[in-house]
Amino acid sequence: MASVELSQLTKRFGGLEVISGLNLSVEDGSFCALLGPSGCGKSTLLRMVAGLETVTSGTVRIGDRDVTSTEPKSRGVAMVFQSYALYPHLTVAENIAFSLSLAGVSKAKKTEHVARVAAMLRLEPLLERKPAQLSGGQRQRVAIGRALVRDPSVFLFDEPLSNLDALLRVQMRLELAKLHNDLKTTMIYVTHDQVEAMTLADKIVVLDKGVISQAGSPWELYNRPANRFVAGFIGSPGMNFLKGQARHTGDGVSVTLQGGITLTLPPRAVAAFTGERSVEIGIRPEHVTLASGSDAQISGKASVVEYLGNTSFAYVDTAQGSIIVQADGATRINAGDTVGLALTTAEAHIFDDTGQAWPHL
Amino acid sequence: MSGDPTTRDTSQSTALSHLTRSPAGILLTLLTLICAAIWFFPIYWAIITSLRSDQATVQEFGMLPTEPTLSGYIFAIVNSELPIWYLNSTIVSVSVTVLVVFMSACTGFAISQLRFPGRMVLWWTILTSFMVPITALIVNHFIIIAGVKLLNTHIGMILPMLLSPVTVIVYKQFFDGLPKEFREAAVMDGATELQVFLRVFLPMNWGVTTALAIITFIGAWNSFLWPFLVAQDEKMMTVTVGVSAVQDAYGVAYGRVLAGAVLASLPVALAYLFFQRRVTQAITLSAGIKG
Ligand SMILES: Nc1ncnc2c1ncn2[C@@H]1O[C@H](COP(=O)(O)OP(=O)(O)OP(=O)(O)O)[C@@H](O)[C@H]1O
Ligand SMILES: [Mg+2]
Repeated sequence: MASVELSQLTKRFGGLEVISGLNLSVEDGSFCALLGPSGCGKSTLLRMVAGLETVTSGTVRIGDRDVTSTEPKSRGVAMVFQSYALYPHLTVAENIAFSLSLAGVSKAKKTEHVARVAAMLRLEPLLERKPAQLSGGQRQRVAIGRALVRDPSVFLFDEPLSNLDALLRVQMRLELAKLHNDLKTTMIYVTHDQVEAMTLADKIVVLDKGVISQAGSPWELYNRPANRFVAGFIGSPGMNFLKGQARHTGDGVSVTLQGGITLTLPPRAVAAFTGERSVEIGIRPEHVTLASGSDAQISGKASVVEYLGNTSFAYVDTAQGSIIVQADGATRINAGDTVGLALTTAEAHIFDDTGQAWPHL
Repeated sequence: MSGDPTTRDTSQSTALSHLTRSPAGILLTLLTLICAAIWFFPIYWAIITSLRSDQATVQEFGMLPTEPTLSGYIFAIVNSELPIWYLNSTIVSVSVTVLVVFMSACTGFAISQLRFPGRMVLWWTILTSFMVPITALIVNHFIIIAGVKLLNTHIGMILPMLLSPVTVIVYKQFFDGLPKEFREAAVMDGATELQVFLRVFLPMNWGVTTALAIITFIGAWNSFLWPFLVAQDEKMMTVTVGVSAVQDAYGVAYGRVLAGAVLASLPVALAYLFFQRRVTQAITLSAGIKG
């Protein structure tokens, strides 16, 4: 087991800078998820840790070793690919044992290791099959087994579940969580599925165009997003953003939205300023409630209502912009209804015109 | 051999039943059948003639020999060097096949997967050499092989036949098409380049290798001009060269000559029969490049 330290890591493909001066430390035994939109450099970053991609500048340390220019096989890392990349001409057992046979391990030892891994992943009945004769979930488990057999100090996963159907994905997610619990090996996990990241990770790193937008615990990312990008990326349906003008008041910040509605928010850790600043208010759907009469701060017309049973989401068109409201499943709303909305302003976020959050106190 | 067309008919009967539904389909089927018959007739005639006695060849014109005899075959085997020609053909074709396939696989892998200086130059050289018909080089080959005193030897015969840019191109294209994850997974598992090649890339799809091996073999077995030039001694001749060279010696003994010809083409015909699907695959593979 080992920690992973990236410092000032940069990767350029020709003129294209894909990762820019990135610093990240992944603690020994932790589960770190790399999250971000397509093309932001997640795979590239992971592949640099694996040694499959050269580093343009900066260093990669695994444990107490600088492995920046070490061969992949000597880094003590194992990788699970999105496409599994199982060798089609080998059986499951041979696939799992491939690294061992390359290393010249004796037959008896190989059988022993394969048996150990197969028991862990419930692969025993499949050992003699070829990959083509396996289901998606079984292939995934074999791919994990192939990584597991090497006893790596760091596991790397590149979107391992994205080829599975929704139900299987949930099941495999639980198995991965269990595996991490049992092994306590450091894992770095690339995904663009925030649910996977939120449920599995101790630490989530949100990447945006090759730089870390924010790194922190799932709670921090959800409740204390550092910027508008993270705020909008985490959470589904996404956060509502309302443009407005902010000014300091005695006991907080007051924001005047378009249409002259003024909200008062708790004070923020931001340097004092006089006059007004253009900001955006961010508020999650669950912090907007349906209200009537004088409680309603904003009113609008529901354009679409998604009913999910325990809850429903209403997309409400207001003078301030479109707002998504999470209502409890018992409340009946129909598309076309005019509704009043109340905002739980204590839970709202304020972003300045560069997209940075004004931190909560 | 005469059973061949009937087996084809049954294997294609489902396709035929589709074709025979419309008038255009019937016409097309008839046309193809006529073409097939025209194509097949000389082969058929060669086979039945080889089964006739010398006398019968000039007297009978029926579609079946009245008194089939194997005397032509016996004569060809006993009274000529046919067994030695067979051996020569086998040595040359097998060596050419093994060497061409192995070298092409290595070259294709290197160009497709490794990064080394001169890689693109090598690739373009191979592509360009593909544009030059081998026959155009035959005089040069002869002079070189004569110069290094390899005329009338197996090695001298084999060396120029190893030029096979198409096989390299097919392999390169094939390796290019493999997802890079296979290679990366193997590298993570600790494989060296050689192990990636021998333990993952080659065995991953033997189909390509078998297909290329079969067409290389057929091509080598059937090659005539170069072996004809190199083999100066009757004992060095391959089957194709031997059979045609001794025609004169037999005079107009058609039965014997044709028996020799049938024997000469037998291995190729058999290879084709057994590996029909692979051959088609190989032709498709290389046709994609030639097109
Ligand atoms: N070998 C390469 N040569 C040139 N550009 C590359 C190469 N590999 C990746 N890129 C570029 O680097 C950027 C990041 O790619 P990367 O694969 O890391 O994205 P990602 O975050 O994993 O995306 P996804 O979620 O779609 O897998 C992309 O713009 C991609 O086009
Ligand atoms: Mg990726």
